[in-house]
Amino acid sequence: MKNTLLLSLRRIYSCRLFIKKLAIFAISASLFIPALLHAEDQSYQSLRDWIDNYRPGDEALTPGQHLTINDRESKLEALIPHTAWKYYFFDDMDMEIAATRNYPMSDDWEKEWPVDYKLDDDGTLVGFTGGRFPFTEIHADDPMAAQKVIWNMLWRPGTNDQTMPMVTWLRGENGKLDRIMEYTSINTTYARGDHSLVPGYEEVKSKRVMEFRSPRDMAGAKDMSISYVDHHRENSGWLYMPAQRKPRRTLASERTGELMGMDMIREDNSGFGGKVYENNWEYLGKRKILATNNVKTNPEFGGDSLWVPHKTRWEVRDTHVVLIKPKREDHPYSARVVFVDAETFWTHWMFAFDAKDDQLLRMNQHFLKYSEDYDKEPPAQAPYLKQDFSETLGHKVFMHLGQTDINAKKPHATMTHCFTNKKEFTAARAKQFYSLRNMISGRR
Amino acid sequence: MLMYWNQFAKLFVFLSATLASMLSWGIINFGEDFELEGYAKTYNIMKNGASFLHDGELTHQRNTAQLEGKYYFLRDGQAFNRFSAGPIEEATFTFLGRAVYDAAYDIRDSYDVLNDRGKEEYKIREAFVDILMAPFSLRLGKQQVVWGETDNFRALDVINPLDRTWHGTRESWEDIRIPLWMARGIWDIGKIGSFDETFLEVILIPDDFKPTIVATKYPRPWAVRGIGLQNHDANSVLIGNTLHDLNVTVIDGAPDERKFSNMQGGFRFKGIWNEIDFSINYFYGFSQTTGVKVKSAGLDSFGTFNTVVETVNPRINVFGVTASFSEDRYTQSVFRLESTITSGVPVAIAAGAPRRANPNGNSFDTARQSVVMIGVDRPTWIPALNSLRTFFISTQFFWRRYLDYNNYYQGGAFYDVQPAVVNGSSVPGRYVSTNNNRLDQDEFVITFSASTSYGAAGLWKPLFVFAYDPRSTGAYNKIKMEYLYSKHLVFTLEQHLYWRVSGNDQGPWGLGSYLAEPGIRRNETVFSATYQF
Repeated sequence: MKNTLLLSLRRIYSCRLFIKKLAIFAISASLFIPALLHAEDQSYQSLRDWIDNYRPGDEALTPGQHLTINDRESKLEALIPHTAWKYYFFDDMDMEIAATRNYPMSDDWEKEWPVDYKLDDDGTLVGFTGGRFPFTEIHADDPMAAQKVIWNMLWRPGTNDQTMPMVTWLRGENGKLDRIMEYTSINTTYARGDHSLVPGYEEVKSKRVMEFRSPRDMAGAKDMSISYVDHHRENSGWLYMPAQRKPRRTLASERTGELMGMDMIREDNSGFGGKVYENNWEYLGKRKILATNNVKTNPEFGGDSLWVPHKTRWEVRDTHVVLIKPKREDHPYSARVVFVDAETFWTHWMFAFDAKDDQLLRMNQHFLKYSEDYDKEPPAQAPYLKQDFSETLGHKVFMHLGQTDINAKKPHATMTHCFTNKKEFTAARAKQFYSLRNMISGRR
Repeated sequence: MLMYWNQFAKLFVFLSATLASMLSWGIINFGEDFELEGYAKTYNIMKNGASFLHDGELTHQRNTAQLEGKYYFLRDGQAFNRFSAGPIEEATFTFLGRAVYDAAYDIRDSYDVLNDRGKEEYKIREAFVDILMAPFSLRLGKQQVVWGETDNFRALDVINPLDRTWHGTRESWEDIRIPLWMARGIWDIGKIGSFDETFLEVILIPDDFKPTIVATKYPRPWAVRGIGLQNHDANSVLIGNTLHDLNVTVIDGAPDERKFSNMQGGFRFKGIWNEIDFSINYFYGFSQTTGVKVKSAGLDSFGTFNTVVETVNPRINVFGVTASFSEDRYTQSVFRLESTITSGVPVAIAAGAPRRANPNGNSFDTARQSVVMIGVDRPTWIPALNSLRTFFISTQFFWRRYLDYNNYYQGGAFYDVQPAVVNGSSVPGRYVSTNNNRLDQDEFVITFSASTSYGAAGLWKPLFVFAYDPRSTGAYNKIKMEYLYSKHLVFTLEQHLYWRVSGNDQGPWGLGSYLAEPGIRRNETVFSATYQF
C-alpha cells in the first residue's frame, strides 16, 4: 500500500515536473516563437507595426561591410521592410553596404519660373508642366503630404529620355524559369516646364515606344503610349501586332489586370502608376530603409527562388512612407504602402495588400544607379544591344536598372534588368519617332 | 538534281527547328547590323464529322520553316558605317522566306490526283527596303499593306489578295496574304489645326496584280467545290428532257500582271481629331474576286453544249473611312468603325434573267457595294473565371449591302453538282450542276472573340471565337488553347465547329454546317507544335 502510494506520489511529482518543464519551455518559447511567426506574417498590419515600431539601432553600418544572414536581427530587420523578410533573408545572402550619399541633381531643376499650379480638392495636381519637382518641401503635418510625395515621384525630372533595353525573367518557386522576355523601351519627356520638347504638343507629358524582340511569339509587337499633363486625361495607346500588320487602339483605364504573364499590374508601375483621385491618401512619416539605390551594375538574383537582388550594393536611405487606399470597392488592393526616396523621389519599395484578406498580394523593389557613376562603374550592356554609356554622364539623374516584382499569392516573381542609357531627342526626331506613322508598320 | 534539292529542302524544314533552337531564341544578332528570327512549325489538321473518333481523316500535315532577317545598312546618316547618306537617316532591308512541306500528300493515296499541287512551297514571301528621310519614309519591295479596323473580313484590307487554297481564311491573314511588289510612301505631317498625328500614305503597285486564289480540285481539303457531290465535275447539261455533253472553255482574262496600264494605287490620310483616330482611304485597283463572263453558249452540230467563258477581274474603286476611339469613362471600351463603298464588284447573273437584268447577255455584271463595320474591344474582368487577368473581348458587326442590287445576282462559289436525272432515272457517269445561290441585298455577320491567359506566368492562353450569320443562321466556333511550353516550344490545340440554327442557306461567308455533312464535312481538330528560335 505504501509502495503504491509512493509510486503514485512519484508519478504525480514527475508529472508535475513535466508540466513545470513544459510550462518553462512554453514561457521561453513564447518569447521567441512569436518573433519567428512574425517573420512569416505578411499582413498589412504587420507592415504598419514595423513602420511604427522598428527603428535602426545606434550602430551605424560601415561602408564596404557585407551583411549576411547573421546580421539579420541586429541590423537588417530594422532596415528591410518587414513584409519582404520572407524573400530577402536567406542563408547565403550578401548585402554590400555603401555610404549614404547626397546625389546632386541637375541645376536646371532648380530654375524658377512663374508657374501657377495647385492641388485641387481631390489631390490632383493642376497646371504643373514639369521641369522640376512640383513640391520642394514635404511637411509631415501637411494634409496633402502623401499626394505631394507621389506628385514629386510622378513628375521627377530625369525619369524619361532614355533608351532602355530590358530582359525579364518570370520565375516560380524554387527558381523554376517559366519565360524570358527581351524588349526595349524608348521614352521622352515632352513637358519641360517652360516649354514642350515639341512646340505645339504642350498637352503631352511624355511619350514612350516599347518593342519586344523575344520570345518569337511576341517579337515585333510594339506599343506607343502618350501620357498627358492633365492627370484626368487617360493615356492614349496603340499596339502593333506583327500578325495583324496594323496598330490597334488600346485602353489605358484598365490598370489592375496582370499583363503578359508578369507579376505586376499597370498601377504598380514605379510603385504607383494609377490616378491620384481614385485613392485615399495618408502620409505615414519618414523611415530609413535599405535600398539598392546606386548599384554597381544590374544585380544578380538570389534567394530560395532567385527572386531578389543578391551580392549587390545597398544604401541606407531616408524615405517618405505613403499609404494609398483605393476608393473602388472592387479594386484588388485594400492598401498599398510605398517607400519613396526623400531626396531623389524614386520609389524603392512598394507593398500592395489583397482586398480579400489584407495579406501581401504584390510587392516590388527597384535597382537604381546614379548617372555620374556610369564612367567609373559602368553597368552591364544589354545582351542584344551595345550602347555608349558616356551619353548618360552629366545628366545628374538616377537610371533605373531594374526591379523585382513578386506576387505572394501565386507565388511567382518577375525580375527585370534594364540596361538604361540616356537618349535625347531633337524636336523633329521625337515628332517622327513618336508618331502614328511609326506605329503602322513594324519589323514585319 | 531537282530531286536532291527537294529532299534537301524537306530535310531543312524538318531539322531547322531542332538545330535553330540550339542556337538562340527570339531575334538573333549577327554583329550590330544584322538580325535573324524565325520558326519551324508542324501543323496537323484532322477533319471530323458526326463521329469524332471514327469519322476523322488527316487533311494536312503541314511543316513550315520561316526565316526572317533585317539588315540595318544605314544608320544615323551613315551607309555601311562608311558613306554619308545625305538626308537619309536610316535604311533597312527586310526579308521573310517560307518553306513548306505537307506530308499529307505523301501519306494519303487520295491526294495522288492533285499532282502534288500545294504539297510544297519555297518562297521569299517578303523582301523590302525601308528608307527614312524625315518627315518622309518609303518602303519599296514585296510587301503587305493592311488598312482598316476590321478583323478577318474584307472591306479596306483589299490591297493584298489572299491565298485561300490550303485552309480557307482560317489562318492568320499575315500568313495567307499574297505579298505584292509595291512602293509605299508616307509623309509624316503632324499637327494641322485641330488634327493631330496626321500623315499621308501613298501606295503604288506598278504592275503586280494577283487575284485571291482558291483551290477547286477535289480532294484538296479546302477546295471551293460548292455543295452537292464533291468528287465529280459537271459534264452534262439537261435541256428539256435531253441530256447533252458539256464542254467548257475558259479564257483567262485576268489583267496581265506585267503591264503598267494595270497599275494600282491609293492613298490614306490618317490622324487624330478630338481623341478619335480616323482615316480617309481610297484605292484604285482590280477586284481580287474573279468573275466569269459567258462569251458564248449553245449546242453544236454534234449535240454538245459548248460554253466559252472568260474570267475577269474588273477595276474597282474603294473609298473608305475608319475611326477608333478609346472611351475610358463609361464603357471602358475601344470602339472601332470602318465603312467603305466599292464599285466594280463582280457578280454573276442567273440564267434566264430578263434583258434588263443581264444587259450584256453574258451573265456578268459589276455592282456597287457598301460595308459598315462597328466593333468594340474591351478588357473585361470575369473574376469567377480568372481572378488575375482580364479577358480581352472583341466583337464586330459587319454589314455589306449591294447598292444597285437586282434579284438575279448570284454568288459564284456554291454550285450544286448532282447526278443527271432523265425521266426519273439517274444516268450513270453523267452529272449536272445548278446554281441556286441567289445573293441577298444585305449581308450580315457578327463576330465575338474572348481570350485570356492562365497559369502563374500566363503560359496557357485560351481563345474562343464565334461568328454568326443571322440571315443564313450559319455559325462557326473556334476553341483554341495555346501552351507556351518553353521559350522555344509552343503547342496549340484547337477545334473548329461549323453549325447552323435552321435551314440550308449557305450564306455569303462560308459559315454554317452545309459543309459539315458526311462527305463534305469540315469540322476540324488542329494540333500544332512550333519551335521558335
